[in-house]
Amino acid sequence: MTSDRPRRPAAAPEATDDRRRRPGRASRTYAAVRADTVRALPPADRHLVRRFSWGLTPALAEEVRRAGGGRAWFERQLRPADLPDPAGADIDGWYPSTLRSPRAIWDRHHSEQEYIWDVVADLSRRTVARRIHGRRQVHELMVDFWSNLLHVTLGHEEAQFWRMDYDRVIRANALGSFETLLQRTITHPAMGLYLDNAFSSKWAPNENLGRELLELHTVGVDAGYTEDDVKASARMLTGYRVDLWDDFAHAYEPEWHDTDPVKVMSFKHRNDRADGRAATLAYLSYLAHHPATARRLAHRLCVRFVSDTPSASIVNAVAKAYSTGRTAIVPTLRALVSHPDFDAAPMSKVRMPTEDYVATVRALGIRLQRPGRDDAFANAMYWQYSQAGQPPYEWPAPNGYPEVGAAWSSAGRVLTSVYVHRDLAARWWPTERATFPTERSMLPPMPATLLQVIDQLGLRLLGERPRQGIAEGVATVVGLPLSRRLTADEVVDSWTFTRIVASLLDSPLHLHR
Amino acid sequence: MTTSPLDGAATTRSGRTTGGRACGCPEFRMSRRRLLGTAMATGGALAGAQMFGDAFRQVAYGGEPGGNVVVVLSLRGGSDGLSLVVPRNVDSARDHDHLTGYRSTIVVPQGALLDLGAERRFGLHPALDPLLPMWQAGSFGAVHAVGLPAPNRSHFDAMEEVEDADPGSRLRVGWINRVIGFDGANAPEEAVALGTSLLPTSMVGPSSALGVNQVGDLQIAGVGTSGEARRQSLSQMWRASGTPLARGVKVAVDSTTKLARLAENVDDDVHGDLYPDGPLRGALANTAALIREDVGTKMIAIDYGDWDMHEGLGSVDGGWMTDHLGHFAASLKVFFDDLGSHAGRVTVVTISEFGRRVEENGSGGVDHGYGNAMLLLGAGVAGGAVRGDWPGLAPGDLVDGDLAMRQDFRDVLWEVLDSRLPGVQRDAIFPGFRPTALGTMRA
Repeated sequence: MTSDRPRRPAAAPEATDDRRRRPGRASRTYAAVRADTVRALPPADRHLVRRFSWGLTPALAEEVRRAGGGRAWFERQLRPADLPDPAGADIDGWYPSTLRSPRAIWDRHHSEQEYIWDVVADLSRRTVARRIHGRRQVHELMVDFWSNLLHVTLGHEEAQFWRMDYDRVIRANALGSFETLLQRTITHPAMGLYLDNAFSSKWAPNENLGRELLELHTVGVDAGYTEDDVKASARMLTGYRVDLWDDFAHAYEPEWHDTDPVKVMSFKHRNDRADGRAATLAYLSYLAHHPATARRLAHRLCVRFVSDTPSASIVNAVAKAYSTGRTAIVPTLRALVSHPDFDAAPMSKVRMPTEDYVATVRALGIRLQRPGRDDAFANAMYWQYSQAGQPPYEWPAPNGYPEVGAAWSSAGRVLTSVYVHRDLAARWWPTERATFPTERSMLPPMPATLLQVIDQLGLRLLGERPRQGIAEGVATVVGLPLSRRLTADEVVDSWTFTRIVASLLDSPLHLHR
Repeated sequence: MTTSPLDGAATTRSGRTTGGRACGCPEFRMSRRRLLGTAMATGGALAGAQMFGDAFRQVAYGGEPGGNVVVVLSLRGGSDGLSLVVPRNVDSARDHDHLTGYRSTIVVPQGALLDLGAERRFGLHPALDPLLPMWQAGSFGAVHAVGLPAPNRSHFDAMEEVEDADPGSRLRVGWINRVIGFDGANAPEEAVALGTSLLPTSMVGPSSALGVNQVGDLQIAGVGTSGEARRQSLSQMWRASGTPLARGVKVAVDSTTKLARLAENVDDDVHGDLYPDGPLRGALANTAALIREDVGTKMIAIDYGDWDMHEGLGSVDGGWMTDHLGHFAASLKVFFDDLGSHAGRVTVVTISEFGRRVEENGSGGVDHGYGNAMLLLGAGVAGGAVRGDWPGLAPGDLVDGDLAMRQDFRDVLWEVLDSRLPGVQRDAIFPGFRPTALGTMRA
């Protein structure tokens, strides 16, 4: 069975001599919006949108302007249910297996209709496609944030049959309260299978989830809990079973539940009922509201959206909003963007590899279509974005991907990003079932100087005109002075267009947010 | 017998409620492991974040050509030292009997242990057999009861502590980074590292580090121009940037210049076909090629993960531990052969964040524990013996159910560094640490 596992498609790029000579030609194209309609947002709005979207585009800038500015746009984003998102709904339909029940996914795998690894890869693709084209950008960011905090590795052998359902739980609660999110995720079969709680019983408690719940999901390792607290935490969680042998059904098993009194830090419960679910939810509620959890989540939110080294001032302000709001996520985010530190350091966060990938596809104006075949963009992209080391939800340990710039700043990451930018800017791979804007429609009125072309492409792709050092670096690769006047033919009938676009994507203006 | 739901292989159903203990899991872990192996080999859903499957590789430069190389092989997940280097019953000490009492289903039987000649107190797991000739030749040895100064059973915290090796410090500069940064060869372009796009804690810090999949990736993607133009362009664009990524760009530019020859000859220079299929193949084959290229490589860190055996550790007849160790041993044997004449300057040392509990749990596995074993192989190793004080396994010898710690892991690392890279300053690598001599390395 495992020998049938799909291999990377042969369409993956091989650097043939022919390819080295010239860029590819997309089979289907469209005309980009006219140059005179591409305008930069005011700096504060641009900063907010760069931090709270998967990449600034001319269309998103227009949406922000129509909403009445960055903060008004952000407020709408905080109510995703009120935002029509036909593109996002369409994408869900591209990957129908990800919408099936765990039992149906299990049955199809077992009958060899569709293997589970194809389903989880489709969840990865659906996630990235929604980031690229979905309108609910803040929601997609928070789905990523919570999935990384409450991490269940995508391809984990036992958990994977429940992983698609787990994603639905996170999506439904990503902008609700952390209390509910924690209760639903920790007791979810995917988490139970991933961190062994589904096998933990009063006779043979397994400490894995009991410990990580404290260390990773809530109060953090410095909160002062003891080894006895960890053991009690594990005993509290006993009873959430999954039937591995029949149908992966989830069932609470009172007989497995440990009914000794529980004390974890200052949480005390008699826990004397065979059905321990109410006590478990009370325990999770206690942890969600714990001041150490508030500080830890606030710090983590600030690292993701503000700075790798957030000040105590903003962390305290965000933690206070979290506690005052009874763990509600929306007022917590409002406090974050309202603090003066939020505006202090635009373009100081390193884009992580998958942030870079999504922003690259958005910048290039590539429009994905319903895939339907292996070499379609919306399928083949999985192999491309996985190269850079951060495919959604695949970090191999329970602590989730690191979110600070230093972790994603190795020279190897730089080289890989540069390869991916080149392959997409040159329109080599993937190109099937996707439309690209014509190169000509992306140019300023021609003829124009090389500097004018760089400025227009910078504004269109990256949201602002590149500063001088970047423009000079682009000119080095093009091999012409910035003052050289060029016709449209000269730009598009050679490497020039690809060199400019690829270099802009390699620049600090694209690799930061 | 029944059919495992996941791979169709016939397996023993261990039962949902055997003897009042509930678990139906060991066979799942076995099939999971097989699935992982396939996934890695074919670039499946799990392979993305895991550059060489479970093995990550990092390389530090800064040494002189022809100089010594230390390879730190990190057994990430918490390896079970009591399955690797197993105490025997010897004279009046009944440690193997004790061990059998704690873990009757997973213990390596005394009769199955590899005989270590003069080292009568211990035996090796039989899966390490490919490396037995090195033990007999005196270039393979071990230290037991190694650990952090205080127990820490959290993977992430313990690994960070091991990799920082500077308890109490919040600097977050890893010890390997300190090795490359504090010995005088610390100009960024000379103190380069290479291996994975994601740096482990031991490599994070002010000295630059480079990570890629394989040596063939050590070039900048072309756009119909010379590599030189691309490198100059990147330098211009990033000159004014001060984020961590700007440093990564600089190292990428410098190292692709330095490694251009090797990158162009990968097919001839990387001997992947020699190695057994599995997560160490790519990491070790590329590492050997890099060492043979002799561009000043000094320290290499390789992650060989998947040691977190909470369930289904298996037996010497087969299972997770036996398969995992077997791959480890067969791969390392090929690695030393593949190094050829360069093997004489290469030392391998294993490290893990913690050991496992002495007693097996209800799932045929072992939970997080404390004291562990480290293995040392290759140049300079005073092998053929298990070094360090041995606390014993009688109930009164254990610490909270774990093997006691008698040797600080920094004692071992320091002896290796002091012996092989004598230029490094101990206080810079392990601030404030006063090591105890163990005799792991030849004088």
